[in-house]
Amino acid sequence: MTIGLLVLASIAIITLDYRGQAHGVISGAKRGAHDAFSPLQRGVDAIARPVGRFLSGAVHGGDLEAQNAKLRREIGALQRQTLITQSTRNSLRALQRLNQLPWVGATPTVTAQVTALSPSDFAATVELDKGSGSGVAVGMPVVGGAGLVGQVTLVWSSGCTVRLVTDVDSSVGVRFGSGGDLALVQGSGLGRNLAVNLIAPGTALHKGEVLTTSGLQHAQYPPDIPVASVTSFSSTPSATQETVSARPLADLDVLQYVDVLQWQPSP
Amino acid sequence: MAALAVTRSGAATRVGSTLTTADVARSTIVIAVVLVIQHTLLDSVRVGGAHPDLMLLLPVAAGYAAGPDRGAVFGFITGLVADLFLPTPYGLSALVGCLLGYATGMATRGLVRSSWWLPPVVAAAATAAGMGMYAILGAVLGDPGMLKTYLVPALVVGTPSAALLAVPVLRFVAWAVPEPGPGHGAVAGGGGGTR
Repeated sequence: MTIGLLVLASIAIITLDYRGQAHGVISGAKRGAHDAFSPLQRGVDAIARPVGRFLSGAVHGGDLEAQNAKLRREIGALQRQTLITQSTRNSLRALQRLNQLPWVGATPTVTAQVTALSPSDFAATVELDKGSGSGVAVGMPVVGGAGLVGQVTLVWSSGCTVRLVTDVDSSVGVRFGSGGDLALVQGSGLGRNLAVNLIAPGTALHKGEVLTTSGLQHAQYPPDIPVASVTSFSSTPSATQETVSARPLADLDVLQYVDVLQWQPSP
Repeated sequence: MAALAVTRSGAATRVGSTLTTADVARSTIVIAVVLVIQHTLLDSVRVGGAHPDLMLLLPVAAGYAAGPDRGAVFGFITGLVADLFLPTPYGLSALVGCLLGYATGMATRGLVRSSWWLPPVVAAAATAAGMGMYAILGAVLGDPGMLKTYLVPALVVGTPSAALLAVPVLRFVAWAVPEPGPGHGAVAGGGGGTR
């Protein structure tokens, strides 16, 4: 009896969300939950972050050993530069890069810090520390030092969620080559290369070819933002399109600061 | 529906299968604490893009500790809270949570719980089943990537971490979600006990 009612209630909630009939209510509840949870999360995070880093380090022991050996070799050089801490200089460099993005043009931006990685194993997202209170809105593109990072999908007053270009639900219209050929870049999961679709067999391509947003009418992104570089391509005689793989230009594994472009997709 | 009833007379007057306000308060504390631990600590422990999922372990622990009905209710509420912070369809975690709590309660009802290895094994198996259910339902709702791309890393990381975290989570949940009455077996083997 109980389980039947709960299953029916769950299905009703999913249906209402899926059909958009309760989307406003659910989005409002999510925004409220994030607003209420963010201060608590930041407070606890400040205390617990060292523990989280320890746990994270525990599962990456092999990488850390190699990194540790490399760092030991660099200690001598780094000791001469102790006037400014490494993290401060890294942050400064990241922010300076964001100030000099050539493709941003006159579009106003909001610089934000990545505060959390995806809370779900079933989506590639990050959370930022700037939200509607800073002028961030759903649909705005997010860029990093080297290229496109993703798109804002949920906003609350003090933060937002960004769907990364590597998420399987992400699709970005791109242009490449001297002829301005068009293609569609789709995510294949966190840490994986992107799939580039709709490229006709025989199209001139080379490794390292940079794909930039197309900015066509009704595009989700403004034009000319670098997205990815081609890492491999192949074709079979009967194929209707080239099999192309590309690596995101923005290093999504070590995101620290990003720019939210205050640009909205045309309806 | 008896499991949903809440008395206003406090913990001392628990009768039959009703929940007291103290039980509800303890459950709220458990969900809040686990939510904070998940989002401040465990979200950053990533291997292959996946991390341990304590929120999925809660209904499993509730079903194991308190039986199918209370496991289902606890799983439903936990899922609704978890869904507030997830980009996946709203209600999906609630559906998986109530089914998982119920199924765990049914599958472990009547088991002799003296073996130390039983909670980790139950937690790992139920978490794997829950993740599979989650991915399949997500794919049915129009996101095939949840099944084709994200499920394997989630299973590889989520299943062993559920086994590792089973005992402390089970003890914590057993403190909050009491057994409905003398009919359900005592929680032992690392799973806490009757109070």
